[in-house]
Amino acid sequence: MLKDLALFVLLFTAFSSSLYALDIPKRPSTYVTDQAGLLSPDARARLEQVLSAYERQTTNQVVVLTLPSLEGEALEDFSIRLAEAWKVGQQDRDNGVIFLIAQAEREIRIEVGYGLEGVLPDALAGQIIYQEVAPYFRAGKFEEGISRGVLAILRATQGEYQSRIVGDLRQGELTPQELEALQAQGKAVGIFVLAVIAILFVIDFFRYQRYLYDHRLYLDRYGFWEWWFRFALLLFLLSFIFRILFYTLLFSRGGYYGSRSGFGGFSGGGGSFGGGGASGRW
Amino acid sequence: MKKGTWVTLGIVIGIVVLVVLALVGIYNGLVRAEETVSEAWAQVENVYQRRLDLVPNLVETVKGYAAHEQETFEGVVEARSKISQMNLSPEVVNQPELLMQFQQAQGALSSALSRLMVVVERYPDLKANQNFLALQAQLEGTENRISVERRRFNLVSREFNTKIRVFPHQLIAKWMGLQAKAYFEAEPGAAQAPEVSF
Repeated sequence: MLKDLALFVLLFTAFSSSLYALDIPKRPSTYVTDQAGLLSPDARARLEQVLSAYERQTTNQVVVLTLPSLEGEALEDFSIRLAEAWKVGQQDRDNGVIFLIAQAEREIRIEVGYGLEGVLPDALAGQIIYQEVAPYFRAGKFEEGISRGVLAILRATQGEYQSRIVGDLRQGELTPQELEALQAQGKAVGIFVLAVIAILFVIDFFRYQRYLYDHRLYLDRYGFWEWWFRFALLLFLLSFIFRILFYTLLFSRGGYYGSRSGFGGFSGGGGSFGGGGASGRW
Repeated sequence: MKKGTWVTLGIVIGIVVLVVLALVGIYNGLVRAEETVSEAWAQVENVYQRRLDLVPNLVETVKGYAAHEQETFEGVVEARSKISQMNLSPEVVNQPELLMQFQQAQGALSSALSRLMVVVERYPDLKANQNFLALQAQLEGTENRISVERRRFNLVSREFNTKIRVFPHQLIAKWMGLQAKAYFEAEPGAAQAPEVSF
């Protein structure tokens, strides 16, 4: 009992950081979310256009969020939670970047998804913050600073991935090799199932013969079709098992493709983050 | 045998099949959960290793500007070698004491590194060095990755521990010989990146 209590206290302290101060904003349908009001509508629309076109071209998702305040939460904690909630970047490429600005704390963070850590390493992210963004912010030119920061991020991440608009058309279809492998697999399973059924049928047939012999004096013995019905019940159960096996196999193949982002608006594609990037102040 | 017997037999077989299926499901779920914990641990080791790889480079760079801060360098090198000497098997997730040792050794390196970063403050030339700035950004990034992966490890570890304590899972977990996983404990300040102002 005491030990349990101690464990509870320990767990509570260990995870008390999970009692967060600031709520994560709901995932927006735009690339730029300007809660702090640092951008003019004009500049916002321009950035939106650029980022949308950029995703169409490279599939990389770059998202901007400005906040009036972090309300006491640590920048990095908030940033990684945001990244986990919004899932910026494509699922299989993890190519998302979040450009976060907290006005009251005068803090900036560039959070980089796993897939872009190579082209946008921490040192470069830091450089962008201190050379491209912070000087303008210090002078009060938020629009200019944000635009320059975004452009620098785009420049760094540009070459990493090519668009797969062509690939999009046949996303979800299988390559001939995959199809062939699947067909072979299906055939093997089919043969196995048929063989099992055949064996069961033969065994059952012999058992029925024996039953007939044993019960030759009974008047109310099973007819063959009654016996067969019982066998069919067994088959039904078996088919149930195979169906479950089949679906387990199907889903374990990872048949889920990340949601495709539509043209224009932003929607998280399922990218993951591991805390890469840099933080800075102005 | 009467027809009624067959029906009963059919129902019993049906129930047995369902129970077996449920057990298989639980078993697979536990295996998967344990695999998730190992993966999370591999990530933790990964990011700590990344920091370990960063240290020699950092020390060399700082040495070039601040040669007579011998004591600080020794502290860092010593803390680092202590960690390299630790022989960590993936089994560490099952042994809270080992994990504690690991955490303490890493904590020692963290504080040695923050002392190094304080020393750096006294050398403006060094602080302007591009190479050093890049290393510093990498160190900060790595510290952040460490805290991210540690948090994720704690989360999946906790999930696993809850899972193996719930009723039907408990029996199967016992039969599989699964142990509760260890956690990182919160240590205020130690997990944070060394504070360096520009």
